[in-house]
Amino acid sequence: MQNIWLSDGMGQGRRQHNWKSHAALTGILLLAGCGSGRQSVLNPAGDDALMLFDLARVMFIGALILWLLVAALFIYVTRIAPREFSRCSAERLIVGGGVIFPVLLLGALLIYSLPLMSSQREADDGLEVQITAEQWWWRVNYVLPNGDTITSANELRLPVGARTGLRLNAHRVIHSFWVPALGGKTDMIPGRETFMSLKPETPGIYRGQCAEFCGASHALMAFEVVAMEPEAFAAWLAAEAADAVPPQTPLARKGAGVFAREGCGGCHTVRGTDAQGQVGPDLTHVGSRVSLGAGILPDGVEDFANWIAHTEDLKPEVAMPTYDYLSDGDLTALATYLEGLE
Amino acid sequence: MRQVLWTLATLAGLAVLGAAAVIGFGLYNTSARGAHLPGIGWALHTTFKQSVRLRAPATEEVPADLRHPDRAALGALHYQNACAFCHGFPDAARPATAMAMNPRPPHVTEAVADWDARHMGWIVQEGVKMSGMPHWPAEGREDEVWSVVSYLMAIKEGTELPPRPASATCTACHGEDGDTTNAYIPRLDLLTPDQIAQALRHYRSGARESGIMAAVARDLEDAEIARAARAFGRSDPAPAPIPDPEAPAALLATRGTGDVPACTACHGPERDAEAPIAPVITGQNEGYLRAQLRLWRDGARGGGVRAELMRKAAQDLTDAEIDNLAAFFAGLAPAEP
Repeated sequence: MQNIWLSDGMGQGRRQHNWKSHAALTGILLLAGCGSGRQSVLNPAGDDALMLFDLARVMFIGALILWLLVAALFIYVTRIAPREFSRCSAERLIVGGGVIFPVLLLGALLIYSLPLMSSQREADDGLEVQITAEQWWWRVNYVLPNGDTITSANELRLPVGARTGLRLNAHRVIHSFWVPALGGKTDMIPGRETFMSLKPETPGIYRGQCAEFCGASHALMAFEVVAMEPEAFAAWLAAEAADAVPPQTPLARKGAGVFAREGCGGCHTVRGTDAQGQVGPDLTHVGSRVSLGAGILPDGVEDFANWIAHTEDLKPEVAMPTYDYLSDGDLTALATYLEGLE
Repeated sequence: MRQVLWTLATLAGLAVLGAAAVIGFGLYNTSARGAHLPGIGWALHTTFKQSVRLRAPATEEVPADLRHPDRAALGALHYQNACAFCHGFPDAARPATAMAMNPRPPHVTEAVADWDARHMGWIVQEGVKMSGMPHWPAEGREDEVWSVVSYLMAIKEGTELPPRPASATCTACHGEDGDTTNAYIPRLDLLTPDQIAQALRHYRSGARESGIMAAVARDLEDAEIARAARAFGRSDPAPAPIPDPEAPAALLATRGTGDVPACTACHGPERDAEAPIAPVITGQNEGYLRAQLRLWRDGARGGGVRAELMRKAAQDLTDAEIDNLAAFFAGLAPAEP
């Protein structure tokens, strides 16, 4: 992750404009610094991300020191004290500086970094989340220690200070799960479960993104990760396990009627109602999520209406049809109903 | 060498001039009365036969239910509407007008003698250039073509033929009250007048492809559509309940899968909504449901504003799921009156 950012910048630099690559690298660092950092490896908010950040820092600073040493040596022998080396001392320099020193240095880095890999797959503290990548959204099932499963979608909530296991699957094509602020990325492969675990430390809302090209709307396959204090998380999980709240206002009740009439329940589940479809995201508590459409829209009434009426414009080739034939009244009612599913 | 080339070029030029003269001065007699010049008829007919043999689909592409009597019956009904005028019936001669065509369309018993089902399928689908034989007038409706072939095979194999209907009105196919039991023809008594009217308008405009329905719907007036819709439609058809909700096909229909939405969310039964947006399909005829599901799945089915919903709903159905769902819904009691 970190090293990919870095090697990209340097690779370009080697090709043509060294100064540009430095400018770009500095720019990236600055951007990451002044942005919200919700989706940045430079803003680690969890154990694993912190470790990766440290690893990257060690590598980067090490590379910098090495480069300065080589540059200083080069300037010293060509400009400051140019002299002829004897064959013996030249060979000592080449073998010492070109073979022994790199072997020792790389060996030390290897010994430092290899053990870090295993901690990315450490067992969880009791909570496990099964995440299945669909085109282009996320099925999320919380599996409690007693075996109960709580279904959600497109949003991952984690307790801070505890390690949560993630069982990763994919439905049709390969995806990759990545929350830069919390940890490394892991591929999601159809027919082969992969595992990783995350331990967030700082409460907050972070952003995850599919990191493996998976079709037309790959770039629009994101999700929010909400890291919460353990008590708040437990309360949220209990609420998430409950059935949907019945619509409260006349407008929301009208929206529930539109939802049933248009057959939305054929694809979506709203627990506690007749809607039991399995094709699309579970909507039981969709109104309490931070975002809509797998991390591409906020979660307001207008956003629901916008999404339902322009689905295929907002997310090309998505499985959900565009309901552009609904009247404004029906659309507003439906959006109000969904937004009220908290 | 040079001389030979000049001679050949001159001869070729003269031939082109001659052909231009024959065409330009109307020298070739296009009257349908006279026979072809010797050898021409043989050349054309052999070209046709070889072309069919080269292009006909493989035997495996002939549907397994080709010899279903209902399929032959549907084929016979359309044959009467669209084909009999030229090819006659097994027990009736061709009309005198058709006999005056050149080439003269073969009588049906003679026409089927040379061909297997796969060849007939290709000829009915593609037609025959310069013979007056039209191609199938709808795209993506091979299922209808095979129904006609089903009837032709019944003629060829001497199976008992379906009775010849007296008329070619709606009731000839859909039944006196729109309640036909033919598996390949939809029951109309499960539909609302609006649904029937919309279907007829789509058949008329071509938004819904069907060679069989186009033959009868292309010239309908709005008033005729309204009358037919009123005559067969039912104001409030209620889908029948599902007796065994835990059966595999019932679960597929009511819960769907990760790829397929629940059918009953739009089609009922047990729909919790004020107005139906999709036709009742409990008790609908099986072969019709199967053909329509395949059309939806393959993207060949047009429809109203909600057509996209059904297209996307069906896009991941497997052949086995389509067969199971068609059998399941056809096996349920028809809609309550």
